[in-house]
Amino acid sequence: MRISLADPATLRTRVEEMGLLWGLVGLVALLSLLPIGRLVVEGLAPGGQLSATALGKVMASPATWTATWNSLTTAIAGTILATLIGATVALLATLTDIRARNAFTFCFVLPLMIAPQVTALAWLQLFGPSSTLLKLIGMAPPLGSRNPLYSREGIILLLGLQYAPLVFLTLRAGLRALPKELIEAGLAAGASPLTVLRTVVLPLMTPPLVAGIALCFVSSLGNFGIPAFLGIPGNFLVLPTLIYQRLAGLGPGVLSEVAILSLLIGVIAMVGILLQDVMLRRRDFRITTTSSAARPFELGRWRRPVEIGLWSFAILVLAMPFLGLLSTSLIPAFGVPLNAKTATLANYAYVLFEHAASRRAFVNSFLMSAGAATLIVLICVPLGYFIVWKKSRALRLLNLAAELPYAMPGVVLAIAAILLFLKPLPVVNVSLYNTIWIIVFAYLARFLVLGLRPVISGYLQIDRTLEEAAQIAGAGLPRRLVTIIFPLVAPAAVAGALLVFLTAFNELTVSALLWSSGAETLGVVVFSFEQGGDSTYASALAAVTVVVTIGLMASTSLFAQRLPQGVLPWRD
Amino acid sequence: MTLTRRRFAARGLMMTAALLAAAPAVAQAPTGKLVLYTSQPEKDAAQTTAAFKKAYPNIEVDIFRSGTTEVMGKLSAEISAGQPGADVLLIADAASMEVLKGQNQLLAYPGAKTEGFQPGSFDADKTYFGSKLITTGIAYNTGAKEKPTSWTDLDKPAYKGQISMPSPLYSGAAAIMLSTMTARPDLGWKLFEGLKANEAVAVRGNGAVLKSVASGEKSYGVLVDFMAYNAKKQGSPIDFVFPKEGAPAVTEPVAIIKSTKNEAAAKAFVDFILSDAGQKLALWMGYIPAKPSIGIPSWLPEGTKINVMASDIAAVVKATEADKARFATMFGN
Amino acid sequence: MARLTIDRVQRSFGSYLALDDVSIAVEDGEFLAVLGPSGCGKTTLLRQIAGFDKLDGGRISIGDRLVSSADIHVPPEHRKLGIVFQSYALWPHMTVAENVAYGLTVAGVRDPERSQRVSEALELVGLNGFAERRPGMLSGGQRQRVALARCLVTEPSLVLLDEPLANLDVHLRASMEEEFARFHERTGRTMVYITHDQAEAMTLADRIAVMDRGRLLQLATPSQLYREPANITVAGFIGEGMVLPAAILSTPQAGSCNVSVLGIEAVVRCRPDQRVTEQAKLCLRAGDIGIASTRYGGLPATVERLSYQGGHFRMEARPAANRDILLHLDVAEPSPAQPGETIRIAIGDGWIIPEGVSLDKAA
Repeated sequence: MRISLADPATLRTRVEEMGLLWGLVGLVALLSLLPIGRLVVEGLAPGGQLSATALGKVMASPATWTATWNSLTTAIAGTILATLIGATVALLATLTDIRARNAFTFCFVLPLMIAPQVTALAWLQLFGPSSTLLKLIGMAPPLGSRNPLYSREGIILLLGLQYAPLVFLTLRAGLRALPKELIEAGLAAGASPLTVLRTVVLPLMTPPLVAGIALCFVSSLGNFGIPAFLGIPGNFLVLPTLIYQRLAGLGPGVLSEVAILSLLIGVIAMVGILLQDVMLRRRDFRITTTSSAARPFELGRWRRPVEIGLWSFAILVLAMPFLGLLSTSLIPAFGVPLNAKTATLANYAYVLFEHAASRRAFVNSFLMSAGAATLIVLICVPLGYFIVWKKSRALRLLNLAAELPYAMPGVVLAIAAILLFLKPLPVVNVSLYNTIWIIVFAYLARFLVLGLRPVISGYLQIDRTLEEAAQIAGAGLPRRLVTIIFPLVAPAAVAGALLVFLTAFNELTVSALLWSSGAETLGVVVFSFEQGGDSTYASALAAVTVVVTIGLMASTSLFAQRLPQGVLPWRD
Repeated sequence: MTLTRRRFAARGLMMTAALLAAAPAVAQAPTGKLVLYTSQPEKDAAQTTAAFKKAYPNIEVDIFRSGTTEVMGKLSAEISAGQPGADVLLIADAASMEVLKGQNQLLAYPGAKTEGFQPGSFDADKTYFGSKLITTGIAYNTGAKEKPTSWTDLDKPAYKGQISMPSPLYSGAAAIMLSTMTARPDLGWKLFEGLKANEAVAVRGNGAVLKSVASGEKSYGVLVDFMAYNAKKQGSPIDFVFPKEGAPAVTEPVAIIKSTKNEAAAKAFVDFILSDAGQKLALWMGYIPAKPSIGIPSWLPEGTKINVMASDIAAVVKATEADKARFATMFGN
Repeated sequence: MARLTIDRVQRSFGSYLALDDVSIAVEDGEFLAVLGPSGCGKTTLLRQIAGFDKLDGGRISIGDRLVSSADIHVPPEHRKLGIVFQSYALWPHMTVAENVAYGLTVAGVRDPERSQRVSEALELVGLNGFAERRPGMLSGGQRQRVALARCLVTEPSLVLLDEPLANLDVHLRASMEEEFARFHERTGRTMVYITHDQAEAMTLADRIAVMDRGRLLQLATPSQLYREPANITVAGFIGEGMVLPAAILSTPQAGSCNVSVLGIEAVVRCRPDQRVTEQAKLCLRAGDIGIASTRYGGLPATVERLSYQGGHFRMEARPAANRDILLHLDVAEPSPAQPGETIRIAIGDGWIIPEGVSLDKAA
């Protein structure tokens, strides 16, 4: 006897799975391929006419290749630095017995919140002739001497500092899934803690480490704020600043050139991700035991020096730029020395109570970043499932495409969004243009990869039989996703969501072109203040933002008891 | 606690409103929606539209405000997609307007009331009209040892390593300044070679120059007038001079986008900007109005005669690519 | 009904044939062990039965229901079977009780029936006091029991066990083996037990399917497998059989025939249809041979090694007739010969390996 294909339960399962798969394919294509495709059209066929003029012009320009070389060297070196810092700190803060590690984790990820230009300015002041710190130790360079940070090395240093938390967060999520037996087995075999680290911990941590590195690389490649601040004075061009330069230069065909340059960044980013794929191939990183987290290594007499080192570092990267913000926000005008006589809260009063757009922007930015973070996690958990476990070929390609909107400068993505959504959507005839939704779209497209990388590394570390066991128990895919898979990848997913939230919250470049009245973002308002010469208001608003975000993050600890262990990166 | 400029702003707005109420009523009041793209500082943009609405209460103004590059980027994309979103444009420099004019995107307004404006301040074809003068001079930290009076002072050894300026590669206004100054026989590229020898740094925009000079990171900066004076008024340790050779200027022109669906309202906006009321508003906001008869802002010392460096926009637009390339090689590493 | 019918199943990964025309029919209530070295295809077969993987050819039916064929694939969640995974696959974010209750919740069973059945299942595996613990806090054996309870609570008619004892220590293995046997007896479920350990398979199974390189080599009861291996590989794999070249001298009579091996003659078992040939293979177990009682009978061999096995020695010796062959036999304590000495070996029993018969086709 033969049971027909239309066994209803089987059919329903298939429809559910296929529906979810193709829904995801469609969604990711919409978010990643569509804007890129529109840019390709703009680059190669402006106005519908196929033309290689812009392509030829870009390829023939020596500036293109100088910028490409500079982008590559700064991105690679910045990534190496960020990895060294982020990985070391993650290992120390997760595997050793340092005290107050939750507070430390908290402080270490916060600099992601502070806009790169604020960090850049703080560091310029630190190394410049007016540096209070250098004056204190009598090492301040003479007035007018060239700031050493205006250089390739300066850019690399700040990229490394800015993005170390990316490696830190992804690696920490991975380390917390490491069962104690594996470390104890190594120690029992007579290996020293350092040997265990090198031969057991780091090899098993390849997926999160590689994911963090990949994120760092793409972030460094696409960063505009730092090279804009440190590179322009030395005319040190990278691709994002070259693109901005072209855009400012106007002239006919500028969009085509900008589109082609952006695609160039995209290609470099994709090569990086392909390398990542090669590194992860044919190795097994799954952790099959289900025991509790590892007992920390005892640092013994090294504990205090390590703690001091870690905290001074955290203070250097967090407190310094933050103090810069704070001191500027408390003075009536830039350059006025801060003392008891000059200090004023007027800037705060203005941004909090008088300037309606600031408040609106705060609410908008909060809702949009939190919304984008939530949606991205909701997309990434099933997406990672199909990419890693189901090995869906279509999605593996889209996985690469997801890099593009993040790697290119935000202003270019914004232009792509304008090109796409200027006219009302076909069929439904609804226009997203000049609404908050075009920004949400751009956020989803741009930050998808920030959520996806940690989630994928999370999947690589989970033993799939956990899912198969649920399948055998009769649970369909939707139920498995909710009850089994989501809790298992939650630590990685939350790390991703946090990255998205923090990055989107102080984002400027995308919304600078897409905002409309009533849909201001924090970045737009801060930028407006800066542009009008009102750095004091800008600093006050940025300082409030940092404080409120710290408050929000701290408040999550209140309901942390109800979350699975290890989900919040700053809670052990 | 210091009183903020905003308090004055509120009072000032009432004053402008009173001023406007006295303006002659328009025969057929235009109505509908008007979209303005502008790169004015936010408070100025808000005050300009508020005053305009007082004069034309039936027009609803939607505003998009961002940096010049961002505004032009958005507009270019919209033009490329075949649907410019703006009706009127109010941006920093005439060079960008020339580009748009070259792409046939601007609507000529022959009926614009340009009496009393200097011929150089608006386009001969009446497609764009300067609204104010924003000059570029030299700002210096009050702690600086020297007090510059001339552009060529910046080439002196005493200034070595202490100068910042906006990069013409990233700022349209700075690009105009570069081409205007290098076209002058008395300054020319020699000035910039001297700046290079003096290790001047080019930063992204005027805001960055202001910060570096106000904070003392650099002692001298090439900066727009109003930013220096506003900062000074609020207490920043900064002062400003118009160099004796003259100050290059941008005119913050206004223009109507050809595809506008509300031509009447767009023209009303241009009328307003060029009207005495509009010019007085610019003056009150701290700018030098394009119409000389309106007066000069209070921050200018009594009796100052501003010597604006003449500039041929068409020639500037033509020369700008080559000038920027030369600048880039000079100030490269 | 929980017959499991595996019919000419094919599966390849690239050019590698992971399952090559495998057919097995498991009776209702039978305990089948699938035995083979790692990489033999036994895990692939289990994944096919469970439905985690798709077939290239052939059919699998559970009961009367066709679940896998080239164009039909019932997903695992609708196959209504139970699996105990080698890694146990307990969900670390759930308590023991939640782990066990999961299948019931999915099936829509509500409290109080659900908690009733969960505590019964935990009772059955002796874990009543552990309901609220997390899997991370349990020992290996306890985790194994939770996995078993989770598998049983939904009362599947077919249970698959994937090397369930591989991660346990020796003592625990023995007691768990017993537990599986008792459990099978009590519930009468059809069980398919994947293992690479022949002792485990022999102890537990009604029948054993021996696999190698994607092929089913023999499907038989443990005793049959031991006494009458169907081919050289099974002969060598099961019970460390020695395979020697032999010549058949007579046609079979009452299941026995005369053979010549290493220069001596012997009477061994064979198939009734065994033909007379010079090219036969003889399978000998350690127990089939011994030291000859007379000085002149048997085949001469040199002792190479003696190893003490507790109560007896295992002796390895090389026959003079063919120095490439190493024979092993059990000798009583004290050993009658020392390494280097010559002994004479008598052949008491043996089995002629059938030639060119593929058992899965014959069966």
